[in-house]
Amino acid sequence: MKRYWYFLIVGFLVLWACSSDGSDETPMTDDDISVTDDDGTPVTFDRNAMLVNWADNIIIPAYEAFEAELVLLNTAFDSFSQDQSEINLQALRSAWLNAYTAWQSISMFEIGPAENIDFRLNMNSYPTNVELIEDFLSGENYDLTLPSNRVVKGFPAFDYLLNGWESSDTARIAVFQNETRGGQVLSYMDDVLGNMTSLTATVVEEWKDNYRDTFISNDGASATASVDLFVNDYIFYFEKFLRAGKMGIPLGIFSGSPLPDRIEAYYQEDVSKELFVAALDAFQNFFNGAAFNGGASGSSLVSYLQDLNTLKDGESLDQLINTQIDVARDAVNGLSTFKEEIEDNDPPTAMRSAYDEVQRLVPLLKVDMVSAMSISIDFVDADGD
Amino acid sequence: MKKLAFTLMTVTGLLFVSCDSDDDNDTPDETAIENPAIYAFTRNNENTVNFSGQTTRIRMGEELISKLKDETSSEAAIDAMFAHVEGANDFSEAELNASDKSIKSKTAASNDFFFANTADQALIQADFEAWIAAQVDEVFPNWNTAAAAGSPGQIADGSSTRYISAKGLEYNQLVNKGLIGALMVDQALNNYLGTGVLDAGSNITDNDAGTVAEGKTYTTMEHKWDEAYGYVYGLNADVANPNDDLGADSFLNKYVGRVEGDADFAGIADDIFQAFKLGRAAIVAGDYDVRDEQAQIIRELISEVIGIRAVYYLQQGKQALDQPSPEFGTAFHDFSEGYGFIYSLQFTRKPGTNEPYFTKAEVDAFLSDLMDDGPNGLWDVEFSTLDSLSEAIAERFDFTVAQAGS
Repeated sequence: MKRYWYFLIVGFLVLWACSSDGSDETPMTDDDISVTDDDGTPVTFDRNAMLVNWADNIIIPAYEAFEAELVLLNTAFDSFSQDQSEINLQALRSAWLNAYTAWQSISMFEIGPAENIDFRLNMNSYPTNVELIEDFLSGENYDLTLPSNRVVKGFPAFDYLLNGWESSDTARIAVFQNETRGGQVLSYMDDVLGNMTSLTATVVEEWKDNYRDTFISNDGASATASVDLFVNDYIFYFEKFLRAGKMGIPLGIFSGSPLPDRIEAYYQEDVSKELFVAALDAFQNFFNGAAFNGGASGSSLVSYLQDLNTLKDGESLDQLINTQIDVARDAVNGLSTFKEEIEDNDPPTAMRSAYDEVQRLVPLLKVDMVSAMSISIDFVDADGD
Repeated sequence: MKKLAFTLMTVTGLLFVSCDSDDDNDTPDETAIENPAIYAFTRNNENTVNFSGQTTRIRMGEELISKLKDETSSEAAIDAMFAHVEGANDFSEAELNASDKSIKSKTAASNDFFFANTADQALIQADFEAWIAAQVDEVFPNWNTAAAAGSPGQIADGSSTRYISAKGLEYNQLVNKGLIGALMVDQALNNYLGTGVLDAGSNITDNDAGTVAEGKTYTTMEHKWDEAYGYVYGLNADVANPNDDLGADSFLNKYVGRVEGDADFAGIADDIFQAFKLGRAAIVAGDYDVRDEQAQIIRELISEVIGIRAVYYLQQGKQALDQPSPEFGTAFHDFSEGYGFIYSLQFTRKPGTNEPYFTKAEVDAFLSDLMDDGPNGLWDVEFSTLDSLSEAIAERFDFTVAQAGS
């Protein structure tokens, strides 16, 4: 018995020796900034210029545009508070949808001020928890700043409050005008909207006051540099929120069976697809460095890839990615509403095929693009418990 | 790398076995071991594998840890789940209520470690009861309050919400991960796989003669081995082939699966299963040397699972803190799981000895190091503490901090 263990140890030692020889060949560190193009020529891409374009022409203008939509939503809410008419309810719904659409252009910027306050989870956690909202409507105390209440506020809660109870606007208006519940819903909407407005103000102000300069001055190439951090956040967003959140989870890709109540804007029913496309458009515009308010494109992930002359199977990677985004968008645009696709088809083959086109972008971004740029992926699937 | 290592181990082992049989042919040949492909054993065409008591305790554990996350639970109700009495209406399942089994009676209760160490047994059982009490007294009243350094409440961990003490600990995780050591690992490695239990009374004579336990299809020795197996695989859908759905419970099974999922350790789940299976086949054949060799392999590998997860959570939590916006909730969740796995180290078993990899005193010192960098416990923990704890743990096993940490 003793000798048996002795041999085991010898076996381990021999193996360790072999293995360390093999793995020491390619020492790579995060501080290694020597990026070369396909010809082996060193590339000196100006990361600072790209960060400036991102911050000044895309991120801050997109935040400002979103904040402007929130102002309109507040105005529409004020009108509805004054006069609970059907036309004011419809105007409120339309303002909510405009703001929700504008949100799709900024949800991907979960870095710095947004990351500090978990902006995305606070603004758009769905499915919303209707049972808890109803508890709060009927008088239970609540504190909307608590993490456990992220599922009863933001756009999804507003969706429920606008669309999720009673069967028609006429019926809802009757409640608003005649019943205690009407006042409770109004008051809760007010709190939810106030929370969204103040969170947004925090993020936008912080970006303009301080973080813009921090962001663009951290222009090196390391795991903690702005480009590396943001590219990670950008791909994480694509994988978890665009791909999985808006399509994969409701389709049942990860659970085995479809979960139609997990679509975005579930109670509005007919806009999930449009919200997805708005998000994909914003994602692509960012990739191309397109100025948010129109005009010429600036330094971007595309120009970075072109500078590196990155090819994949003989084609330029930036074009491959843009083409695949277009293919994915066309596939999604060809669908009925997500709700119909999922509920009326068993299995929902058409939407699954469209999902597959979205999915094909993941390796292009997460493997090919980042390896060309020598960026390490810093996220893994969470432990799940 | 590990898989290769184990292959090499096997080869080395085989080489040695062949040498060995050349050297001493004086031992009489036992019945040849018939090692089946799956964990299925019969006598006269009847199944002889049974571990319903283990399955019951694991299911009780599942209800217990879920109750700890219901802020309306009373301390008495949770305590009653921990120390169930036959017939008491403690669980949601009638079958569990009717059972005469309890978690507490098997917590830190192995023959090898606690038969003559009831002093530590009492201290350990009291730890679990103290965590339950603290969850009810400190955390439940602050369920709808935001936590901060020095005050209990809730904190975000990604899209999840965690509920922590003033020092950042999730008591429910301490109970959950602590039970992996104090119940599953201790019972399997230090009770049922020990010769004190396997060979007790007339077990050897009975097993050699094929004399079954009264009214049963199995010999007592077979059953004891299966009870060890049940603490690892008690809730798997196909108990004969359990590795298909590792993660069937929230205890040891889940973390064998998690370690298997780390490329540095791929193959470990099959190695554990193969050792259980061969050991059981050896009992059928009356070959107690092979049985005990397999017990040593199981002890080493399952102990390693505990050590790997302890280091993993310390390192994961450190990563969550080490960034521009430290994720305190994520880190505290990791550290709370790590706390439970460190606690569990005192129930591991160094092969060929009657000792754990770390004594209770060493474990207590680790845990106090983790919590004493400042007045607010985990809120103040320093990276150097996390690294030195990780190193101290990994150093006694055959893995590195880097291998375990990601």
